[in-house]
Amino acid sequence: MSTEIANAPVTRSWRDIPQPVKPRAMSRGGRRRLFTSGLRTAAGVLIVLALAWGAWTLTKALGQNSRTMPAAAKAVPVKAPELKTNGVLNGAWLGRRLALPRNASLMELDLEQLRARLLADGQVQTATLTRHFPDRLLVSVTERLPIARLMAEWKGNRQALLVARDGVVFAGEGHDPVLVDNLPWLDGIKLARRNGELAPVEGLGVVGELLARAREADARLDDGTSPHAWRVISLARLTSDRELEVRTADGVTVIFSAHGDFFRQLAKLDFLWEAMAHAPERPARIDLTLGREVPVMLQTSLPPTAPAGATPSSASVKFSL
Amino acid sequence: MSSKPTFIGAVEIGTSKITVLVGEYTGRELSIIGRGECSSRGVIKGSVVDYRAAGECTHSALEQAERDANERLDVVYLAQTGGHLEGFYNEASAAVQASDNMIEANDIRTVCDLAKAKQLPAGRVWLHNIRRPFRVDGRLVPGSPEGLVGQRLEVGYWNVHAQEQRLADNIHVIRGFNLEVRELVLASLASGHMVTTPEERQHGVLVLDIGAGTTDYVLYRDGAPHTTGVVAVGGSHLTNDLSIGLRLTDGQAEKLKVRFGRANVLTRDKAQKVWLDGNFAIGDRQFSQQAIEQITAARTTELLEVVKKKLGSTFSPETCAAGVVLTGGTARLAGIAEAAGRVFGVPAHLGEAPAWVTENLRDPGYHTAMGVLYYGVTARGDKSSAPARRTGGLIGQMKRFFVQNQ
Repeated sequence: MSTEIANAPVTRSWRDIPQPVKPRAMSRGGRRRLFTSGLRTAAGVLIVLALAWGAWTLTKALGQNSRTMPAAAKAVPVKAPELKTNGVLNGAWLGRRLALPRNASLMELDLEQLRARLLADGQVQTATLTRHFPDRLLVSVTERLPIARLMAEWKGNRQALLVARDGVVFAGEGHDPVLVDNLPWLDGIKLARRNGELAPVEGLGVVGELLARAREADARLDDGTSPHAWRVISLARLTSDRELEVRTADGVTVIFSAHGDFFRQLAKLDFLWEAMAHAPERPARIDLTLGREVPVMLQTSLPPTAPAGATPSSASVKFSL
Repeated sequence: MSSKPTFIGAVEIGTSKITVLVGEYTGRELSIIGRGECSSRGVIKGSVVDYRAAGECTHSALEQAERDANERLDVVYLAQTGGHLEGFYNEASAAVQASDNMIEANDIRTVCDLAKAKQLPAGRVWLHNIRRPFRVDGRLVPGSPEGLVGQRLEVGYWNVHAQEQRLADNIHVIRGFNLEVRELVLASLASGHMVTTPEERQHGVLVLDIGAGTTDYVLYRDGAPHTTGVVAVGGSHLTNDLSIGLRLTDGQAEKLKVRFGRANVLTRDKAQKVWLDGNFAIGDRQFSQQAIEQITAARTTELLEVVKKKLGSTFSPETCAAGVVLTGGTARLAGIAEAAGRVFGVPAHLGEAPAWVTENLRDPGYHTAMGVLYYGVTARGDKSSAPARRTGGLIGQMKRFFVQNQ
């Protein structure tokens, strides 16, 4: 039998029978298989998405990784370093201190070395240097706050230096001159040198504590115009007697005990200032080391008829507080 | 070839039982790694008549097979039987196009398309188009005729078609388990490939797969399927006749058939009795052995003659030199081979699975499911690969490779 294929009839195979079945027509096992199939499909999609996200993140991270940057970073000179501080130092100081070579790129900088340069300045307590590719160097520092000053040899000159609470001595840069002038001088200390630099002053912790308490109790201590402003703090008897001697602007010597509660001693002192504000005699020495008993040595002025070379007579009173 | 294994389920929804075998197919080899069985309900003569009942049984067998294999099935190859299956032969011829008369691929494609181009009645769909060998100027060509020289190329197809609704019911039973039906395989082709050798098929052999509700047959000639068919008579009819003749329930009749049924009458003593249960319990009673044999033999002969009649002139002892091979559950009936030999006039024997099949799968009841696996895989274009034997596996001895014996 021969037939023209052009007129071949359209025949249907069993494969043309639609196979999809609604879930409600399925058995419990079929629905369970359908559910697990869906679950597997969803899990597969999630895995693919997670892999795609991971690949994208990895690609992005590799693009930003510094290990891939040297070639680019070497080609770009670093800009002026940016300073972030909690104190008074500024960009000019930073530039001088770092002394970066010209046209240096970020990857050529030795950050540890630069950090050491910054920490060599006693005013800098901590320093962090961060590269931001391609051309930014961020410097973050925390500064020491001066609590007193002293006179010492510094780079061949005798000059006033600042002292922080931890005893570190530093030249100080960028501070307000008025504030510096109001800082008390330190006396009776022994300066030591270590590797050509001044070693930290011992005992400054007690002084710092006293000053902090005093500033809390009476703001006039930093007031240069106040007669009670503290001018000199002597640590001469700190080691032997655990006493601190403070000389005020009007020449009164106040002795504090390093053993006692500074807050109580300052309260007594404040009371005495008030009590003796209108007294005819000026106090010359106030001893706060004896607890409730506060001996006050008074200094009387010389009468106009006193011979030359005569010293003013003095008397003592004792306050029980 | 893919190295990732596909887990294929071969499902036979029979009238008496539903069988599922799980095959692990790697693209090169096929191993049977699990099986599941369930007594059938809602199926009559190979057709689903109660969707819910048939679905429950099938899904139970599928779950059992998946548990046994410890794997999740990907696809299913489904065996098809039933009285709705029909076949017809159609052939075509075409003149060779090339001026030098050398046959080219285009000539082969043209003649094949012509032979398959046949309109089916409404509601019928193709199940198989089984090609018979090519002929070039009347000369039989067992393989491909490409490159041969001739003027006329002829080919014939045995076309099997089925009622669409019946196939859809079977497919939806599987889909109800959320599994894709990848292949539908004629049950007779499946079992025929399992129980015959290429030599037998070349010489001509008739395979009868006698199930509970249907008898599938396939006649091979020249190494290829020549004719297939289904007779809606099977072992359950023997049971039914015993039930009526001896006034028994179906269960009792089935028990008698299995224990004492024969396809030929050997008992001459009418007084020879057999017990129904043999446990002397209340209700146990005796029956004449000869009566049982007479009923089963008469019905078996009738069944075989129905097949012979349906084959008609297609079958002749001369073209069926390798005889008749019997398989299926009812092939276990004693004396059935002799009965078949007597009816068809050719030697008959019981079909056996290839030697590499393990003992627990050698039962004739598994031949169809195993054949579905094998036929389904090879029908998908893997004919060039010969599965190799594999030792060991998930369920040890059950794992075997199918060796392509085509």
